[in-house]
Amino acid sequence: MNWLIRAALVILYPRTPNLPGVEDCDIDGFLVKFRRETPTLMWVGTVLGAIVFHLTPVMTVFIPLPAFLLPKKLADTHAHKITTTNFYLLRQAIFLVKLPGGMAWGANAEVRKRFAMLPYDPDPGTWRTE
Amino acid sequence: MSRGPHISYRAKDAGDFDAEVDFVVVGSGAGGAVAAVTLARAGHHVAIVEAGAWRDPQDYPFTAYAGMRDLLDEWGAQVTMGRALWPVVQARTMGGTTVVNSAICVRTPDDIFVQWKDQHGITGLRERSLAAQDRLEKELSVEEVPEAARGRSNELAMKGAQALGWHEAHYMRRYVKGCVGSGQCIQGCRKLKKQSTNLNFIPEVRDRGGLILSAAPVDRVMLNGTRAEGVTGHFVHPATKAKGAKFTVRARKAVVVAASVTHTPVLLMKSGIQNPLLGKYFRSHPGTGIFGCYDEPVDQNTGATQGWASVAFRESPGLKLETLSIPPELIASRFSGGGVELMKRLEEYRHVAMWCLAVRAESAGTISKPMFGSAPVIKYTLDGADMIKFRKGMVLLAQQHFAAGAREIIPGVAGLPFKLGPHQVDLLEHGPLDPRAYIAILSHLFGGCVMGTDAKNSVVDSHGRVHGYQGLVVADASVIPTNLGVNPQNTIMSLATIFAEDLIS
Repeated sequence: MNWLIRAALVILYPRTPNLPGVEDCDIDGFLVKFRRETPTLMWVGTVLGAIVFHLTPVMTVFIPLPAFLLPKKLADTHAHKITTTNFYLLRQAIFLVKLPGGMAWGANAEVRKRFAMLPYDPDPGTWRTE
Repeated sequence: MSRGPHISYRAKDAGDFDAEVDFVVVGSGAGGAVAAVTLARAGHHVAIVEAGAWRDPQDYPFTAYAGMRDLLDEWGAQVTMGRALWPVVQARTMGGTTVVNSAICVRTPDDIFVQWKDQHGITGLRERSLAAQDRLEKELSVEEVPEAARGRSNELAMKGAQALGWHEAHYMRRYVKGCVGSGQCIQGCRKLKKQSTNLNFIPEVRDRGGLILSAAPVDRVMLNGTRAEGVTGHFVHPATKAKGAKFTVRARKAVVVAASVTHTPVLLMKSGIQNPLLGKYFRSHPGTGIFGCYDEPVDQNTGATQGWASVAFRESPGLKLETLSIPPELIASRFSGGGVELMKRLEEYRHVAMWCLAVRAESAGTISKPMFGSAPVIKYTLDGADMIKFRKGMVLLAQQHFAAGAREIIPGVAGLPFKLGPHQVDLLEHGPLDPRAYIAILSHLFGGCVMGTDAKNSVVDSHGRVHGYQGLVVADASVIPTNLGVNPQNTIMSLATIFAEDLIS
């Protein structure tokens, strides 16, 4: 399912002239880690969010194709419209996939550099054992 | 006295762990750690049993992702079941929420003690509570955010408040000794400035011979009839979540439960405590933020994460206002929109300041046992009166931003434009009263085991003792029967001190 989430995130956080996109932020490595570490329920929510994202272009750009098959411009229009829809549960579902994408994107050293911030050191992931 | 042991995760094949002490304290946050150290200082053998891992500052995460993974309960993804799905943020680590909060120190307001007396028959706490708060503030070196650590966002907030003539506006007093403004409060302060309980009270309990169990979520309190005799559970691996060996810690004198507002009522329910009010009267400070867009960079990531606050509106309409900085990882999903438009919005990160409101909400919800899993079920919805306060808070923050020189604001309200100018504040004044239109979180939780003198209307008495049971005390924010309208850490710590002192006497 990583490819499905990745495809949604690349549309949601695209590369622009001024900022790296999520595809520039080792999103594949992040998703492998996220799948391994996250609680099952959260992972299921992320997958469901991605599915909802890909199945809803018919509601936003009126084309019965999954978002990953849309031309770039239409996919971009869909991304904006579905994240700002007035349907609360749809908005929440998309948020579930947007959240980990933002985590991967915002922690990236190049992104932080654009915001005059130093790169993060690696997370230790350690704890006291004795 | 020799230093006590710390037992972390034990695999199943390592065998069961058993111990016996005078007092077992479940939880190591503001309530649990203070109760434990008070008991230990009186010469008792104390055990602290904490569900989360023990992470020292060098173990703290850097990224928001790892902060959720390593420090927050349920990854911070627990939400209210109600009209809107709002996250409920609490920590699950040695030191509890004191590790991830901004250590904001506010005295319990006098009107709260009056309210407790009038509505719940609680007397005799005011003087003891304030005396305990006085001692704690000295011991934990409470100080106002130093000038060098304020950062632009906090200074702008003060500028806006002064321009509007708000008298009750101030740089925060916090349990932070010599803040250097590294902007990492929510990931844990690696600079050792924030006085979270994992740095002081818990090591002291251990130095006094206490036993510390980490990665040890308690499954139930062991009862013999109506007497609490200890706790039992299974270790859980901090990374893999694998279930480990069984542990049992027996208490010769009493069990003190301080597992948080959401977990304490559920633990008591699972243990067979009979009280129809368990899990009832859950309250909180629901809050949201508004971003101001400034011409000059704000760089909200520099300076104290939360450094400015106002209680000018605590009584009417019932709000607290404060600053809060969040990193790009969280802004990325917090800003509405997607695709190229979202990226354009994110380009402005350096120029936005986020200020927040927290509603002194009267709405009450419930905490109950889950059908499966371990996360408590929280049912909670803000009623119309609280939503009016919420909306008023949005207006006040908008006015504050504009008074501080913002050219636009980003309200984050569904159905409204992404940005509003100074002449569009009326859109917020007439904004929706449906909680689903707002992106909010619940912080500062209260209730679920409310305190009172009448056993028919409360779970614990004014000594924290569970009505109808012996040797069972609750010492966290779940006993607080009303919404404080201010940050609760001082109140929680003072109540835990009093309840522990009462156990000793």
